[in-house]
Amino acid sequence: MAASSPSPVEIIPPPSSNGSSRHSAEGNGSPSKARRRATAQSMAAGQRDISVSEFFAKNRHLLGFDNPRKALLTTVKEAVDNALDACEEAGILPEIWVHIQRVGQDRYKVGVQDNGPGIVKKQIPLIFGKLLYGSKFHRMRMSRGQQGIGISAAGMHGLLTTGKPVKIISKVSKREPAHYYEIQIDTKRNVPEILNGRGEGVEVPPNHEGQKAIQKHGIEWIELDHGTRVTIELEARYQRGRGSVDEYLEQTAIANPHVAIHYTDPDDNSRDYQRVTDQLPPEPKEIKPHPYGVELGRLVTMLNDAKEPTIAQFLIGSFSRVSPSIARKLCETIKITTRANPKKIGRHEADLLYQAIQKTKIPAPSTDCIAPIGEELILKGLRQVVPGEFYAAATRPPAVYRGNPFQIEVGLCWGGVSPAQRVSREGLSEMLEESDARTLRQFLITTFQGLGADAADKILAAANVGIRVSPGRLKAAEIDHLHEALQNVNVSEGQSMNVFRYANRVPLQFQAGACAITQTVMQTNWRAYGLSQSRGSLPSGPITLMIHMASVWVPFTNESKEAVACYPEIQKELRLALQAVGRKLGMFLRRRLRVRHEGERRNLFLRYIGEVATAVSRINQADRKKLYDQLMEVAKKRTAEADVELDDRGKPIEEDAVDFGEHVIIVSHEEQKTAETAKNGTA
Amino acid sequence: MAKQPSINTNDTKTLKRLRELASNVVEAAAKKRDPHVDIPTRSLSNVKYNKTRRFIEMGSNTNRRQLFNLSQAKSYMQTMLVASGATQLIEQGKTTSIRGLYYLLKHTIEGTKEETFADQGECDPVIEDCEVLLNSLREELHLYAQKRGEMVGEIVIADSGDEIDCARMGSGGYGIPSIVEPSVIEFRKCNAKFILHVEKDTVWQRFNEDKFWRKHKCILTHGSGQPPRGVRRMLHRLHNELKLPVYCLLDNDPWGYYIYSVIKQGSINLAYESQRMAIPDAKFLGLRSKDFKECQLSDSVKINLNDTDRKRAKQIMGYPWFAHKKEWQKEIKLLLDNGFKLEVEALISKDISYVTEQYTPARLKAKDWLD
Repeated sequence: MAASSPSPVEIIPPPSSNGSSRHSAEGNGSPSKARRRATAQSMAAGQRDISVSEFFAKNRHLLGFDNPRKALLTTVKEAVDNALDACEEAGILPEIWVHIQRVGQDRYKVGVQDNGPGIVKKQIPLIFGKLLYGSKFHRMRMSRGQQGIGISAAGMHGLLTTGKPVKIISKVSKREPAHYYEIQIDTKRNVPEILNGRGEGVEVPPNHEGQKAIQKHGIEWIELDHGTRVTIELEARYQRGRGSVDEYLEQTAIANPHVAIHYTDPDDNSRDYQRVTDQLPPEPKEIKPHPYGVELGRLVTMLNDAKEPTIAQFLIGSFSRVSPSIARKLCETIKITTRANPKKIGRHEADLLYQAIQKTKIPAPSTDCIAPIGEELILKGLRQVVPGEFYAAATRPPAVYRGNPFQIEVGLCWGGVSPAQRVSREGLSEMLEESDARTLRQFLITTFQGLGADAADKILAAANVGIRVSPGRLKAAEIDHLHEALQNVNVSEGQSMNVFRYANRVPLQFQAGACAITQTVMQTNWRAYGLSQSRGSLPSGPITLMIHMASVWVPFTNESKEAVACYPEIQKELRLALQAVGRKLGMFLRRRLRVRHEGERRNLFLRYIGEVATAVSRINQADRKKLYDQLMEVAKKRTAEADVELDDRGKPIEEDAVDFGEHVIIVSHEEQKTAETAKNGTA
Repeated sequence: MAKQPSINTNDTKTLKRLRELASNVVEAAAKKRDPHVDIPTRSLSNVKYNKTRRFIEMGSNTNRRQLFNLSQAKSYMQTMLVASGATQLIEQGKTTSIRGLYYLLKHTIEGTKEETFADQGECDPVIEDCEVLLNSLREELHLYAQKRGEMVGEIVIADSGDEIDCARMGSGGYGIPSIVEPSVIEFRKCNAKFILHVEKDTVWQRFNEDKFWRKHKCILTHGSGQPPRGVRRMLHRLHNELKLPVYCLLDNDPWGYYIYSVIKQGSINLAYESQRMAIPDAKFLGLRSKDFKECQLSDSVKINLNDTDRKRAKQIMGYPWFAHKKEWQKEIKLLLDNGFKLEVEALISKDISYVTEQYTPARLKAKDWLD
């Protein structure tokens, strides 16, 4: 990396005299050329090792620290993901506390605590103070984190922007002392440096003495038997709306119904996401790599590191689904004996072996290594967080891409009010202040999920405020108007579908356009299910879609893990899952439409009955009232189907017998109301 | 318009039919049945050409219109409204134009933003429905259509008691009213020997300015395209009561053929009125498909036939009252072969007064017309 791009400034002048250098240049037969600016020797002096930490310190954007706003989100995200992984691996129902405090202009303190198993003393500095240190990289197993960069990178970012170390306290059990560390990363050497307790950290005894220690060192800790809390201070920006910490936690709660989250934002508002199930997801099994998913380079490395004495044993032992007969067949294809020593396989043979693997039929990997959320829990999770009228979920059977097993799940929620309608007057004015959007229109579109340009224009027209007004300069009266417009303007038509993407239960919040999931949603024909959709875009309507891809190895398009790469196998599964929930939505919408049509029919008749009765009574002086009532009865008889009870919004309360199949929830209007009031009560 | 006597026998008959219609609704409602009306169908499928009487008669097919049918509810309501409007007019002894009735009945339906009638175009067919439904003529419902068409010539008439000499109308003409029944219009004195009916105003002006009617002792009428009922009824009365032959000078296109067909056999839409409107002896003087060659017209007066024209021409060719007439089949076939149509005004390209001084007199003299 460094060798390929040394900057000219760093070049050290050649040690020899100018004359000899010029002479040698002329001697090379290129007299017209100017003097050589550096020799191979002088360049060699500037070429040295670069540490991973140094590289990432310079390229923070690769890890999701491109801007202050995203830095805050990434920090919370890495900490929460790690906490959840730890809890689940230990079989503990996770409970997470997220605490964000504003400590200065553009400076925030993020504290994340879990009730996980804790970390043993020796490992703490390494996990939080060394990049690319972790347990998850080397195994084929479904987990949230993959590389082991995240949390230490967050700590490094904090250190670089504020100079404050990462503070960690971890407790393994009730009786043993907790350990408290203040760590900073030595970016040059990629090793942790412990700052407190003369480089040894501090012990917090388990009994009441512990309280004293906590007081003394100013440790933040919610008393638990076991768990870990990490506190990072960093330069950041807190902003609500799309791509915010709030949104991340909300989406995490949907996909992780077994998790309880307690969140306190910088304005001291707290929000609790209760768990809706006490069932931990089944523990995913670790699997060996499947031969189809291994690239040539990796195969060579594996051959070199092989412990097995023969190539056949190596193939059977290192890969999943390679039986002795398949191993024999592979050896036959490349014409080597099954008893060859894997360490002595040359480059050429390795290449042949690689090609032989691609050509040989090997069964797909076992798929029990994936733990999907499951339809029931998807429905529960969605319902807990997204208010709506109709919910459907589908989990596809596992499938395989490039030898990696994966599974697709989709949850769909239709109806309910949009986030724009749920915002409070105070919340709105805070958002307006925080926003860095240049115009009000841009503010609306970027802040509220699912609010399209059309809907924003409608709202602004209704609020009677200019489109180009800067959001920060709005007067109080204008904010009132805007808030009123947000509440009252029907945006469900101009609203586009909300897509929550997840990879291994982690929400993906950025780069939606580059993601295979979004692309597949757009390519699906939603018009067949009663939604309106223009070509090559998301359908419109009050819909929230959650799509989860679970895999032992999620193919991200880059290191910041924000978009899933497009593999045809993945897209196919996505499409099938979307169609499964789409069909159910279509049934629901058609029924809804039919009931409404019947209602409209009744209204139409009712409308004309009055006119007919008046006209007839004018001709023959019949009793208008009596005639009207009689005609009314005939009308009722004729439109019996519309007698599905209609409420004030024209929505049906009772259900008729439509078979939606499994995994569907339909919420009646009353239930919805009580749910909303309950939510407002807790908020 | 004529002042109607408060309630005459004719009106009593109409009122009785209206009340019958209303009590049917009351009865149906009392029995919890769908109220409906059966309206005689006004389309080609329900007309018959009566060969002996030589005009179109209405068949016995009806269309049921129900209140409790999504697509018919509104027109049912409108039918009842028109009936009640007519009742009101008869009871008060007043008449109004169909546009007047539209305004009388137009209002916003209670509790909605919907209008009973969106425009007059929605009201007019419902009035025609009521006419056939009640088997009453428009004037019996105390309605009249917009006045269109003029008359000039050697005749003296009395319109609501005022004597009008149609030979002394100056450059204008006598506007033919919509109701020309004997109760309104009387024929006092007639020197005319025939009637020349032309398609539209411009041609009529030409004839009038050249005082064609004085030279040839005739009555000159026009109907601004498709002649309204007043004009047709007037022609019918002049023809039958004064025994004047009727000659038509119309454009050489499917539209002109159809105007002739309506004058002669009656219209499909108002087949129930054929009896008092159709003039089976009317003749088609011109323009003929052969005239382009015969009169040596220039190429520039041709108007190319379009697809609708061709379709319409073939349709007219197939009408039972044209189907058996060889001359007509030849005429329409020639039009199609020519591939162009001609307006009467095309003759003006020869000379301004060619049509009045040469074409028409020659044709009349030679009895060169189509029947």
